[in-house]
Formats: sequence, C-alpha cells, structure tokens
Amino acid sequence: MKVRFKLNGKFVMLDLPGVERLIDLLRERLDLVGTKEGCGKGECGACTVLLDGKPVCSCLMLASQIAGHEIVTIEGVAADNRYAHILNAFEETGAVQCGYCSPGMIVSAAALLARNRHPSDNEIKRALAGNLCRCTGYSKIIEAVSRAAERVAQERK
Amino acid sequence: MKEQDTINPSSLRQALAAKARPNLVVVAGGTDILVQLHDRVDRPWPKLLVLDGIKALGKITLHDDFVTIGPNVTFSEIESSPIIGKYAPQLAQAASVAGSVQIRNRATIGGNVANASPAGDLIPPLYVLGATLELLSVRTKRSMPIEKFFVGPGKTVLKSNELITAIRISKVKRIGFFLRLGTRQALAISKVSVAAALMIKSGIILDVKIALGAVAPTVIRAGVAEELLRGNRLDAKLIDHAAEAASKEARPIDDIRSVAAYRKEMVGILLKRGLTKILESM
Repeated sequence: MKVRFKLNGKFVMLDLPGVERLIDLLRERLDLVGTKEGCGKGECGACTVLLDGKPVCSCLMLASQIAGHEIVTIEGVAADNRYAHILNAFEETGAVQCGYCSPGMIVSAAALLARNRHPSDNEIKRALAGNLCRCTGYSKIIEAVSRAAERVAQERK
Repeated sequence: MKEQDTINPSSLRQALAAKARPNLVVVAGGTDILVQLHDRVDRPWPKLLVLDGIKALGKITLHDDFVTIGPNVTFSEIESSPIIGKYAPQLAQAASVAGSVQIRNRATIGGNVANASPAGDLIPPLYVLGATLELLSVRTKRSMPIEKFFVGPGKTVLKSNELITAIRISKVKRIGFFLRLGTRQALAISKVSVAAALMIKSGIILDVKIALGAVAPTVIRAGVAEELLRGNRLDAKLIDHAAEAASKEARPIDDIRSVAAYRKEMVGILLKRGLTKILESM
C-alpha cells in the first residue's frame, strides 16, 4: 500500500509492507530514533509526535493512517528555530535526567506553545498530563516550559 | 507476522462494501484497538478496516431539531465544539477529561460507543441526552436509542456487516453535568462516573435523566433517583434522597480499578456533588 505524507517538512512517498505502527515506521525504517517507545499503549507519551500540529501517540497509530497528513517528530522540532527556546530551557533547568521522556515532553510542549503563548502552570500540567517522567518529579519540566514561553513572549515584544 | 495490508476506504460506500466481509476489526482513531493488539505480537493481527480517512463521518452538523455527530469526530473536537458546548455540555465535559491530549486528539466518539466499555466516558452523557445511533450496512439502515445498543461489556447489537454512521442528539436545551473518579486525573479509566441532564423551571424539575458508568455490565440509568426528582423542587433534602437511591441502583463489581463498595458509595457522592452545584447556581 502506497502512502504519501509530509514528514518534518518534506513530502515522502512510501510503500507500506503491511500493518505497521507509525512508531515502527519512524524508528525502524526511517531511522528517526529520537521518538521513543515506552509502554506501547498510549500511557507514557514517550512516542509523542505531531499530526497536523497536534500531539498524538505514534504507538497508537497505524502508518497507513498518516496518508495525506503531516507528521513532525522530535527531529523536526529540534531543527525548527521556533522551538529552540524549549530545548535550551530543558537543558538549563535540569528538566532532563535520563532523557527517555524528553523527546515526547518537548513535542507536547511545542504543540502547547504553538497555540498558547502564555500558558499557566495548570495549562502546562494539562498539556503534559499524557507524558510520564520517572526522574524529575515534573517541577523542573514545568519550569522549563514556563521559561521557554516567557522567552518567546519577550522576543515578540 | 503483520503481513496483511489494512483496508483504508475513503468513502462510506467503500467502507460498507468492505464491512460485508467477515472477521474484520474496525479501527477509527485506534487508541483502544492498538492497545488490545499490542499484547498479541506473536499472533497475526486480524484484517483491519480503517475508517478515519472517511471525512464525511468526521463532522458535527446542526439540523432543525437535532445535532448529528459523525462517528469519526474526536474527543478534542467534541471538547472544543461550540455546538456541543451549547446542546450537550455533559458530552463536552466527558470528552475533556478522558485520556490525555494525545489520546483525545485521536480517540473518536464512534470508537468509544462501539468499544462498549461500561467505563466509556462518552456513553453516560449520550444516555442522558437521549442519543440515537444510526447503523448502516450495504443493504439495511436502522436507528436505535443508545440504551438499546449495549448487551454487556464489549458486547453490542451491531451486526458484523454494520457500521455506526451517525450519533444524533436532540436540540432541547438542558442543564447537566458529567463527573467521574479515577486513580489520577489524566489517563485513568473511570472507576465510577455519573452524567445527568435536567430541565428545571422555577425551581421545579420538569424532566431528568441520570446515567451511571462503570457500576454495571453496561452504562445504566438511575430510574429510581430520576423518579424521586421528577416534578419536585430541587433542594438539599431531595438531593440527599436521590443520591441515596442512585447509590442503591448501582450494581458494581470488585476489579483491578476499584471495589464495589467504594463505587456504590461514590455514585451517590458524585450525583450529590453535581446536583448541589446546579442548586447553588439557581
């Protein structure tokens, strides 16, 4: 089955060999290994990617479902200057410990800041509720997203 | 292992033609079915019929007397739809607290209904809104009240060649609520949930529907509590009576998520919480 979609800004045409999950397509065949698989059941959010700008779990999507849509992975977010503040803020605040949840956290944070430039702590918590972190206790992650939002706002002044 | 292609129709006609084949598993958003398939990596996956490419099934449409919600409409779309917010606030509330952002962006109302979990969060609101389901096959078309659709956990009257093609709710304006309890706010399946829809005029409850989730093999109505409330003035004492009655009507079980006694008690607490808030806002 042939599918055409946009991946990190470029159009891609692919032949799917059969039933394949989006995360397997990304990691195993396209070498986009920044996206992590934690639980494989949509509980942890480590596999979060953007589908037409909205965060989704790539472990709960079939590759055939992305036909005609746009996917952005953590690689796409990292290469996009608009999101540089998020990556920097995660580094500075110590929001990254083992790092396994970070790609998903950053993708979710990117989706939040794209639609809400001044999120409250509660809005940040709600946006990240689908992303589990077992190291940080979340406070540094929330601080990082908050700091990134402030910097984006300052730049726009 | 996963050798077969999925079937991805782009029109309802193609989907119904495909559904005439036996042994198909239907995928809408995939947030339930991919979890179920996740644990069977060594066995071949069943043939999958993927519906989310059918754009005509993904719309919320306003008619003269009713609102049609397409089965492919996602929880996120329900949560943010002004039409749903106006005519079905319970449904919007339920859609906004289920799962996580990632799940809500993919999970569909049709999937939540078809999956037939007694804990499915959109089902109690649909009960109290008096929703009607439209079921189509290649040759037949029927509609039924949602309460007639469920037989037991995961079991419905949907025939193997049928698809849910529309969910309809009337445009009668009612106030109401959806409240639930889970282990945590995000991503927890409901231990117990309560939805209600009321018509109140000059303090008197003209009509009321109450539905209870996760406390019986299917979502159920709390008929005794409704009867106590109907025709009477909403006050604290009446709320206590109704809460006690609803608690008795629940017939929950002990399972991995909670225990029967807790669920039973919480049915009353949630109903009281919801009705009290309405009373305070009057």
